[in-house]
Amino acid sequence: MKNNKKVMTLPGMAVLFLFAILPLFIMLAYSFQSDNGTGLTLENYSRFFTKTFYLTLTFRTIVNSFLVTVISLVIAYPLAYIMAKHLKGLKNIVMVLLIIPFFTNQLVRVYSWLIFLQDGGVFDRMMNALGLIDGTMGLLYTRTAVIIGLIHAFFPYMVITIYMALERLDNTLLEASSCLGASKLTTFTRVVLPMSMPGVVTGIMIVFVPCLGTFVEPRILGGVNGTVIGTVIEDQFFEIYGWNFGAAIAFLLLAMVLISMAVINRLGRRYDS
Amino acid sequence: MIKSIGMKLYVLLTILFLYTPIVVLMVMGFNESRYNSLPFRFSTRWYEELSQNATLLSAAENSFYLAIVTGIICVILATLFTLGAESLSKRAEGLCRSVMMMPMSIPWLIMGLSMLLMIRFIDMDKNLFFVAAGHVVISLPYAMLVLQARIHSIDPALEEMSLSLGADAWTTFRKITLPAIAPAMVAGGFLSFMISFDNFPISYFLMPSGISTLPIEIQSSIKFGFTPEINAISTIIIGISLACLAIVGLIMGRSFKSVLGGGK
Repeated sequence: MKNNKKVMTLPGMAVLFLFAILPLFIMLAYSFQSDNGTGLTLENYSRFFTKTFYLTLTFRTIVNSFLVTVISLVIAYPLAYIMAKHLKGLKNIVMVLLIIPFFTNQLVRVYSWLIFLQDGGVFDRMMNALGLIDGTMGLLYTRTAVIIGLIHAFFPYMVITIYMALERLDNTLLEASSCLGASKLTTFTRVVLPMSMPGVVTGIMIVFVPCLGTFVEPRILGGVNGTVIGTVIEDQFFEIYGWNFGAAIAFLLLAMVLISMAVINRLGRRYDS
Repeated sequence: MIKSIGMKLYVLLTILFLYTPIVVLMVMGFNESRYNSLPFRFSTRWYEELSQNATLLSAAENSFYLAIVTGIICVILATLFTLGAESLSKRAEGLCRSVMMMPMSIPWLIMGLSMLLMIRFIDMDKNLFFVAAGHVVISLPYAMLVLQARIHSIDPALEEMSLSLGADAWTTFRKITLPAIAPAMVAGGFLSFMISFDNFPISYFLMPSGISTLPIEIQSSIKFGFTPEINAISTIIIGISLACLAIVGLIMGRSFKSVLGGGK
């Protein structure tokens, strides 16, 4: 009976092995081949590390992810706090409103920003009507547009993880803190903030890490100004046909993902218990 | 009082940020202008043109079938895995679970192109089998999350009782386990359906030429000059997604909440 049951895990594991793990190893093998197919080589990697273009791009990708994460955190924390501690019946409605966009197509969302931000589009009209600017903001096809689009896609995750941490926070702790004479600020920095850190760390994880690998938002909203590692990999496969070099960059991106996960995990362990 | 209004205003502003572009997209679907330009003049022209657009409609149909297949396979694999994993040793269980969850943390861009390289490595042409396999791999973790949450909440005493009262393993599964996990199976299937239906990167890398899905069509029309037909079909999709979400939410009630709360 018990052995019977163990067999049931096999189909899933087999699918994962064949279509996720094996391909990654094949990709690794490709990254060590040269385009004319003679033996193993490190040339793809040395090409990446010797050209400032690619290093700048790596830096820019990380900065983009960092900005998206920080701004998402700044928007999300107060919202999660208000939801957890001040909205009573409304909080479920707000939660549903935050989740609904997850069920809209990623490309549809990006496309909606394209229409919203285009020259002479709704955003420009709004700004003109408010008298803030005259003419166009020229936001589309800039790095700012990319970052706005990514924040729009990712900040709800941050709200949800922080909200879940704050929701668990016992209100009597807050009362105890103020009874013992702590000011509101002290209560926040000494009680609320530390207790919500696991949620913040999870939020950072699920915003920062996927941001590193995006290529759709940078391409569509950033145009030539949006180039990041993801779009360079896409170009290698669809425009330039430098598959081996593309595989090498993809592997470096994977390494960045894994390293940042490990770093964020370590950060999170400090707040465990 | 002022503080409370301030807070509500903040919530309202963030919700506005989240929805304004989507609403603009929907409204522009009813705008006469081809370039989504203002001023707004009401017209159902783009919906009429959409109904004549065979490419877009067949792409939507492809996406739908692909997502159905993905959803069904994911439910089967995830159910088998979660039921089986319980009898593994603690250590093996943890290891297997992290393997199954792995595609969640790897960018889809990398998943897609590593599969593309594998197809080239074994010297085959791109085909629909690999597309479906790719979609299954990336959707599976989400189905797993839902099922795991549900299976952990079943009292093991129930199954033991059924077995000790003389029911065989199959009857126990059919009468006790299956009814308990059925809502989670539907919710997990729905979630993987949605992930697959919306997925662009995997299809982009693996689709054989000549066949496309809706996200691929949307991307190529953004690239090569868009028309508000995209707005029209996006509006319809958003409508259908919301309707499905509402229906599943109503049927599933609690177990669906655990999906939304428990997923990453």
